Amino acid sequence: GVFAHLEMLEARAHEAAVKQEEMEQQEEKLAGLRARVEELRLQRDELRAKVDLQQKGQLGKEGVVPNPAQPSARAVLEWKIKSLKALLELFYLTGISGKLTKRGVCFCISTAYEGTYLDSYYLDLLTKPEVQIYRHSVPVFIPLQQIAKKYLQTDIRRFLSVLYDHLNAYVGRRYQADQLQEHFSDQIEGTLQRNSLCNLLVFNYNVPSKSRTFPFNVRLLYGDLCCSLPTEVVISCTPNAPASLAETAAAHSDLFRRVALHKVFGSFSSAEESVD
Amino acid sequence: MDETVAEYIRRMVLRIPRDEIKTMLQKWGFLSETQLQTINFHQIKDNISQDVVQLCEENSADIKQAAVLDIIYNHIYPNKRVWSVYQMNKTGEETEFFDLTDFKKKFKRQLRSALKNVTINFREYEDNAIWIRIAWGTPYTKPNQYKTSYVVYHSQTPYVFISASVLKSNLPLLCQALLVASNYCDIREMELRSHSLNSLKDIVFKRYSQNFQTYYPRPLQERNAAPESADIRIIQENKNEKERIQRVNREVFGDGPQPKLEFAQYKLETMFKSDPKMNVLDKREPFRCLVKFSSPHLLESLKSLAPAGMADAPLSPLLTCIPQKARNYFRIREKKGFLPGSFVSP
Repeated sequence: GVFAHLEMLEARAHEAAVKQEEMEQQEEKLAGLRARVEELRLQRDELRAKVDLQQKGQLGKEGVVPNPAQPSARAVLEWKIKSLKALLELFYLTGISGKLTKRGVCFCISTAYEGTYLDSYYLDLLTKPEVQIYRHSVPVFIPLQQIAKKYLQTDIRRFLSVLYDHLNAYVGRRYQADQLQEHFSDQIEGTLQRNSLCNLLVFNYNVPSKSRTFPFNVRLLYGDLCCSLPTEVVISCTPNAPASLAETAAAHSDLFRRVALHKVFGSFSSAEESVD
Repeated sequence: MDETVAEYIRRMVLRIPRDEIKTMLQKWGFLSETQLQTINFHQIKDNISQDVVQLCEENSADIKQAAVLDIIYNHIYPNKRVWSVYQMNKTGEETEFFDLTDFKKKFKRQLRSALKNVTINFREYEDNAIWIRIAWGTPYTKPNQYKTSYVVYHSQTPYVFISASVLKSNLPLLCQALLVASNYCDIREMELRSHSLNSLKDIVFKRYSQNFQTYYPRPLQERNAAPESADIRIIQENKNEKERIQRVNREVFGDGPQPKLEFAQYKLETMFKSDPKMNVLDKREPFRCLVKFSSPHLLESLKSLAPAGMADAPLSPLLTCIPQKARNYFRIREKKGFLPGSFVSP
């Protein structure tokens, strides 16, 4: 009817607006890059001119004559520092960054979950006489020693990659559990039972059915420590629950296995809203 | 309500600082808000405790419920006890799904199978800490609620924090129950003791500030030196040395607060080195000597030694290795030089 038509028009308008925004962003980016190219060209020309002057020996033995048109040594240094810092920040944001130390190397693993930056963990490694962990700030329930025993000596890249996966998955699971407790505590009955690794979560929540609510008990087992989604979901309801709820339980079980925990509950809330 | 329970509750309330009594009773949750309203918390503690006992009588409190109040008190004031750290080992490498209900069941079953007369209470906290309170009896007497052991365990970690039990004979029972419940193979006491439970946690969980070298830019404001005194006639003669000391100190101790330990003990079993002509010791025997450093906050005081000019920087690694080696009891034997890592016996 009319509302459906209106919805469709709204959706179209929204799409068009998004496309428009994207295009504008692209153009901005392009303009920015063009300006950068000009900037760099200018610098290059200035440096070329300086090199020419030096080669022609016009600067003499007194040293560089300060010329406001040419970038001073200080300006060049500052530019170098700025671009280095940007590069290092880029590495830091990719998740694994390192710095050579007197006796080896110090790695920083920065974790994130779906766009939110979370904790950073450090590993101070010695490289002589063999690669070993000198000190670290990795939580004690992460199986660091096991991973090190497998990979540290033979393939340090793999070691870092496996550790990175463990840490990111852990903070991801923890984030989901925290979000659940923070934003959906009204849907949870009682307390959320968790553990240090956040690889077993047990809680009860209410499911509405025919103007009554029935409690579901959920056990989420995260068998893969490198994964932030559960490998096994067990939902049980009280014996007096209607048979139709078995279907709901199966559907929820599937949801928990595929979708992040807090998003599952988010979808419950919005499902309720759309029913009204 | 049992006479002993009443007396126990009365004594417990007397321990609590007056300003904290109401909040603690609210945390306990055994007395309703309306009941708490009837108590005048401004009267003398003797009378407050009598009122509380009276209300507990109305609610028929039993010893298990009274024990919960004890756990709450000890959780808020853990520093009144001395805590030791124990480390557990396991051989398997499977992923552990630590199930709290399972843990509690196994612990109780194991402990009760060895000794029937025990009161066991559990309480979990937000940071995954499980507090266990055990009141010990004997095969012939009821548990003595005034002789309690406390255990704090974080799931899926190999460390257990035990508040030194008065009855040393019960320790093996406790350890066995912990191993069975947490699925580990063996347990040993670490050489790490302190009143500050959180500092012990910081040390073994590696939560204390270690100065890791990274490229991540720290805000430049930190690096700005404090503004020099306005009078330019005042010059710091030792500026370079002071800065070196600050830098070295920072590398060793990190930027943040240090874990709180009260002492470090070094048992020396080294040979006495003297002029051979002096002939102090006829036999070539280790000169036994015990060096103990005590302080309200040992690591902070060590950190401030060099800047205060009382010691050279860097400090001896015997002192600075304490958090990293997670020990404050050392035994140093005669070998080629002092290397506490290799030559200290557990």
